[in-house]
Amino acid sequence: MPESSLRVFSLNVNGDLRKVKAAADTPLLWILRDELQLTGTKYGCGVGVCGACTVHENGSAVRSCQITVSSAAGRAFTTIEGLGAKTDQLHLHLHSCQQAWIDEDVAQCGFCQPGMIMEAAALLSKHSRPTDADIDATMSQHVCRCGTYQRIRQAIHRAAEMQSAKPSTGTKTGGKS
Amino acid sequence: MKVTRRTFLRESSRAAAGLVVGFQLGIPGAASTLAKSTRRAAISADPESAAEFAPNAFIRIGTDNVVRLWATRSEMGEGVRTVLPMVLADELGADWEKIVIEQAAMEPRFKGIRLRTSGSGSAAGTWRPLRKAAATAREMLISAAADKWGVSAESCRAEQGSVVHAESGRRLTFGELADAASRVPVPASPKLKDKKDFRLIGTRVKRRDGQAIVSGAAVYGQDIHVPGMLYAVIARCPYLGGKLVSFDPAPAMKVEGVKYVVPVRSGFATGVAVVAVNNWAAIKGRAALLPVWDKGPNANFDSDSFTREMERALDQPGFALRRDGDAPAALAASKKKMEALYEYPFQAHAPLETMNCTAHVREGSCEIWVPTQAPEAAQQDAAKLLGIPEDAVKVNVTLLGGGFGRRLQTDYVPEAVEISKTVGAPVQVMWTRDDDMKYGFFHPAKLERLRAGLDEQGLPVAWHHQSSGPHLSLLGPTAEEKKNPNYFADDGMLWGSFDNPYNFAHHWADYTLVESPVPTGPWRAVMYPSTVFARESFLDEIAHAGKLDPIELRLRLLQPGDMLDLKATVINRARLIAVLKTVADKSGWAATQGSTTAHEENGRLWGRGVACNVYDGDCYVAMVAEVSVSKNLSDYKIERVVSVIDCGLALNPLGLEAQTESAIAWGMTAVLGGKINFKNAQAQEHSFADFKVPRMSDAPRVETHIIQGADAPGGFGETAVPTVAPAIANAIFAATGKRMRRLPITAEKMRLA
Repeated sequence: MPESSLRVFSLNVNGDLRKVKAAADTPLLWILRDELQLTGTKYGCGVGVCGACTVHENGSAVRSCQITVSSAAGRAFTTIEGLGAKTDQLHLHLHSCQQAWIDEDVAQCGFCQPGMIMEAAALLSKHSRPTDADIDATMSQHVCRCGTYQRIRQAIHRAAEMQSAKPSTGTKTGGKS
Repeated sequence: MKVTRRTFLRESSRAAAGLVVGFQLGIPGAASTLAKSTRRAAISADPESAAEFAPNAFIRIGTDNVVRLWATRSEMGEGVRTVLPMVLADELGADWEKIVIEQAAMEPRFKGIRLRTSGSGSAAGTWRPLRKAAATAREMLISAAADKWGVSAESCRAEQGSVVHAESGRRLTFGELADAASRVPVPASPKLKDKKDFRLIGTRVKRRDGQAIVSGAAVYGQDIHVPGMLYAVIARCPYLGGKLVSFDPAPAMKVEGVKYVVPVRSGFATGVAVVAVNNWAAIKGRAALLPVWDKGPNANFDSDSFTREMERALDQPGFALRRDGDAPAALAASKKKMEALYEYPFQAHAPLETMNCTAHVREGSCEIWVPTQAPEAAQQDAAKLLGIPEDAVKVNVTLLGGGFGRRLQTDYVPEAVEISKTVGAPVQVMWTRDDDMKYGFFHPAKLERLRAGLDEQGLPVAWHHQSSGPHLSLLGPTAEEKKNPNYFADDGMLWGSFDNPYNFAHHWADYTLVESPVPTGPWRAVMYPSTVFARESFLDEIAHAGKLDPIELRLRLLQPGDMLDLKATVINRARLIAVLKTVADKSGWAATQGSTTAHEENGRLWGRGVACNVYDGDCYVAMVAEVSVSKNLSDYKIERVVSVIDCGLALNPLGLEAQTESAIAWGMTAVLGGKINFKNAQAQEHSFADFKVPRMSDAPRVETHIIQGADAPGGFGETAVPTVAPAIANAIFAATGKRMRRLPITAEKMRLA
């Protein structure tokens, strides 16, 4: 057996330091899904055109299928599982976007929605009251084959209202270091 | 099921080990109890408690008052896992908060019960069996309570999870009655509740799995993990009808993590599987492979020349679908005639979750976890491949990341079963997006030629609709069936033309079958999209030619509002008239006199178009689309879509509205840019970069109005798809005078029209 080409990489995911042994060119997407069992981040296209694999780095939305694990090493990411504030081992607070998604009954098949929510949460952290044009510009990077766009738009406006009403809760989007 | 400490521990330990044999989502109300783990899968172990009350396959009531309901349709976004509990709660008198939904699997317990999800039938097809199952349980619970109290069953009722004796005020919960109810004789014909006694049905209920979805906890096929599982990616023959000749496993085996490189012969396209310890190694291993392919008999197939073949086929004799009067003779005798040709190209489904399947073949048995609309077929395929009885194959249905008809095919199932058998381990076969685009079961391309003969008022008196294209199913008609010219008469294959709802004195419809090597299958709304695009566009052409209002023309052609009996389907024209009149009202059509007042605003041209349809006799839709087009025809935007739906009893109007919004986006796919091009026997599209699907910036303002109808629900998941393309094309004509007859409608085509 030749010497392994796999290396150990350390990265911060949802506030936890995680070590993984992987090929250097492995996309972060597959590290999250296959190695860390964080399957809320979805594989939709692998080429950065559907948005299903969106996660956060420092509160900004990034495509985990376009980041290799070697470049991700030493950086901190938040996935859909870590978006809500953790209160204890078993209970999660929902992020305002997650709550707004439920309130507006957005999801149909639901597969794209974790990526949509991560994008929307990042948008709201930069634009506290986005216009429809802001929403269109940002969210058009994502695909929903069930066509839930109208409800996503409403949910983003609702989440913006929730955040401005309660600025201190549920807005944490970045990973803990 | 009574959750004892012992079973709880056993389940927890098995769940922690990652064995996923079913899934359940949280009880609504137990809102913030999501565990830290993302694998939400829990074990739906067979209940062993004798005290449990299990009157039938659908329902189990435990002594803990939990009512378990097994969903017998796949959840792919239509909301079946929400609407079935609504029906159960109302018919049984259950406490909504105490209902837990489980997913029925292909296993002996559900033998003989349909689990296939198709034809917009999730609610319509389960409505009666579920109500009967619930009414059976209710009568048995009431009987058990009445016996205990020594009162008549008639003096008791079930409500909110308890049986109540009104006179004495006594009350026993379902859990307290479960043991006794399980010993009551099963009633032969339980009495169903009257509609007026429903509390949830007809109200707006949100999705029960909303929380799991937004938390990333919902389990789709690609999220399944079985201990010891390997990941497989397959290099499939890229040529339609071609096959694998040879391959050298060495380059793929050099990729670290690749365990096996094995041939796969059981899928629709033969190929080579690269089996690895994770997806990335499998993907890289496949990229390193250079299999040798036999291009097969269709190596020169391309869709442009196929379109010309379909055009020629329109002049050849086809199957007679409808023969009212003598349309050709009446056309010949008409002073004014119109003719137009419409095209609907090949379409992919491209659900966001690509095809996948996880299989674990053991000696003499097999377990499968798969997002599919067709678990019966999955079981049959696996049993046949392995040469074992169907009962030895368990098929677990996960959530589906979109179905749309693609997951009625089960080609991904034997692939996973074959590889698992070959390598002796559980295997998950994952299709990449490129695989999913290229190896689909495509919506067949079709051409529609319409001819009409008009009277002096401009009303059509003769109508001839000819379709040509591949059959919906690869199997198609047999050689024997093809000899029968009436084979497709009264058949769903030519939905939209044979069941044209309008009243013409002479009315013919024909279909000429054109063989193609392209695998085909039902798309959302099956065969309606193409025929209805043509039919409703052509009516618009007739209306404009005769200076008639397009809605008024339709209303006149639906007179006298009678029942149209086509044997295979019966259309109530009065219901279609009602949705048309309502959409005129709700869209403000009359106020602006429809499309005649197309106008200019903000430097753009605005117009409206209308279309209507009946889906399989039981669901009626009328739709008005409003578009704006830049004056130099460089772009257009669908601004607003107003729909009116009558699909009988709307069980959950919130869900019906969602399905309408969804169907509109689906219909827009074919309008804005969706088209699969074949060249050299290969689909040329790779991803959403070149297969254009609607995105947020394309999304119109959607307004949906429901006409609450009869006593039973009709299917609505597909209803609003077919009218989208013609309503938009008609709106573009109103705005610009450009008649777009070939989909998709690109700006370039608009300028050239």
